[in-house]
Amino acid sequence: MNHQYNQHFSMKRWSSLLALHWAGNRKRYLLSLPAMLGLLVIWEGFLVIMDRYSPLNDGMQAVTYYSGLLAVGTLYGSTIFSDLGSKSKGIAWLATPASALEKLLCALLFAVLAFFVVYNLVFYLVDIPMVELGNRLIERQHRVWAGGYPIEANPVFNVFKGMPGDGLDRGHHIYLCFYFMVQSAFVLGSVYFERFAFVKTVVAVLLCILFFALLEEQVIHATLPNGWNQSLFSEWMSSGDTLRAKAVRLSPVASLVLVGLLIYGTPLVFWTAAYFRIKEKEV
Amino acid sequence: MVSIHNLHFSYRRKPVFRGLSLELEPGHIYGLLGRNGMGKSTLLRSIAGFLFPQEGEIGVLGYQPRKRQPDFLQRVFLLPEEFSMPPMELAKWVHLHSVFYPRFSRAQFMQAAAGFELPAECRLDEMSYGQQKKVLICFALATNANLLLMDEPTNGLDVVSKSQFRKVMAGFLDEERCIVVSTHQIKDLENLIDRVTIIDEGTILFDQTIDTISERLLFRISYDPGEASTALYSEASFRGNAIIEPNTAGEDSRPDLEMLYKAVMLRSEELNKLFPAKSNQ
Repeated sequence: MNHQYNQHFSMKRWSSLLALHWAGNRKRYLLSLPAMLGLLVIWEGFLVIMDRYSPLNDGMQAVTYYSGLLAVGTLYGSTIFSDLGSKSKGIAWLATPASALEKLLCALLFAVLAFFVVYNLVFYLVDIPMVELGNRLIERQHRVWAGGYPIEANPVFNVFKGMPGDGLDRGHHIYLCFYFMVQSAFVLGSVYFERFAFVKTVVAVLLCILFFALLEEQVIHATLPNGWNQSLFSEWMSSGDTLRAKAVRLSPVASLVLVGLLIYGTPLVFWTAAYFRIKEKEV
Repeated sequence: MVSIHNLHFSYRRKPVFRGLSLELEPGHIYGLLGRNGMGKSTLLRSIAGFLFPQEGEIGVLGYQPRKRQPDFLQRVFLLPEEFSMPPMELAKWVHLHSVFYPRFSRAQFMQAAAGFELPAECRLDEMSYGQQKKVLICFALATNANLLLMDEPTNGLDVVSKSQFRKVMAGFLDEERCIVVSTHQIKDLENLIDRVTIIDEGTILFDQTIDTISERLLFRISYDPGEASTALYSEASFRGNAIIEPNTAGEDSRPDLEMLYKAVMLRSEELNKLFPAKSNQ
């Protein structure tokens, strides 16, 4: 029993796999850090110079944060299994005596967890001093709004408090979950597509969105009674022929479970699919 | 050790194996010979679990290769023809990979590396293709894997290294291990392999031990043109005709693998009739 379990996961093997992955990719990772730092400095510096009134307000910081996270995270995610696209590297990777689960968890640790931590460190390493710089410039140059109102100092955007002015995100971290959902699709894409994984995954994701949009528009909407429309994810409304709107909605619990499954379950589904794809991979 | 039964495999529309069956036993060095594109590499990758049979079964040391369990991967080592080495110090690379192989012997690695005259301290990306291949061969031997699959191992090795290769390999074999060497450079395997398996058109054309071949076939030089015309196989040489004929008198001769290969490719049916039916595929 223990022997069988050992064939799926062994901490010793997994830590050796982490060391092997780090040694093989250390240079690439260490070079990407100054690249990310540099791009952020250039972008936020540009904002500080160009916006005289409210450079780097929390909304702009949030947009910068999520755009960067999505762009770099998906790009990195789509390369995490790129070795499998080459016969020589693929054989070496698959031949390493570790289980598919260990190999997947090693990839997820770097692509999902470590990347998220490092991205946050890099972002705040740039963002905090840049916000401070923007605020000081406003203060020193005595800038005011057009009506003479004082410009308040911008706070540093806190990702864990959610998107500014978005109550739903504050409670549920929708944007972060959306990022992990999309990134998990790119992780799956990197094991599924042997070449041009990033581009192919973008196309696949867009096709999926198009499919669901058409499904909603052509099939689900067509099956609703006349005058009824989908309102939210689990709510349908009808203005009917009177002014009193009618609504049909799932119970809060069912709705919560469905939304929870979609947001939190999708990455798990894609990671699980990646696991089986690794197991079935032939080179 | 390896049991292949009724193996079918094809790349899209190109069939490679159509019902191939083969048994490999420990204590032997098999020479897997065949023309380019006849499935030698595919067979090795199927045994190692990197390609899956579309029909039929492969069993290796009691494992199903396609599951690629860590235990299995520790016991079966494939040295591929195409490989890539990371930009890393040799010692570090060996350390990082050897931890996955519980029976890895650093002493054996050093011994094999000394046999190949490999530099002790060097970066892998600064090594030539041939040197990188020697590193992989040394590492493969030092893992003490029960089954060692080598795909064109002498490609990229110079003449001296090929000789070193044969010496190093010969010292590695014992009763618990099996080595399969796939090559189309047949001369490189002489004095090394003890069993010849020739694969062609998706089936095993010929599969005999060197001892049985010596027992059943006679390889000699003939100066008589008449003998050359009646031989199983003959080719002109500076000293007359090199011929293969049935060894009816029980004479001793050293099999010339290249000639044997050519003979099998031309007259496999007649050759196989000279061998005990049981051991033929």
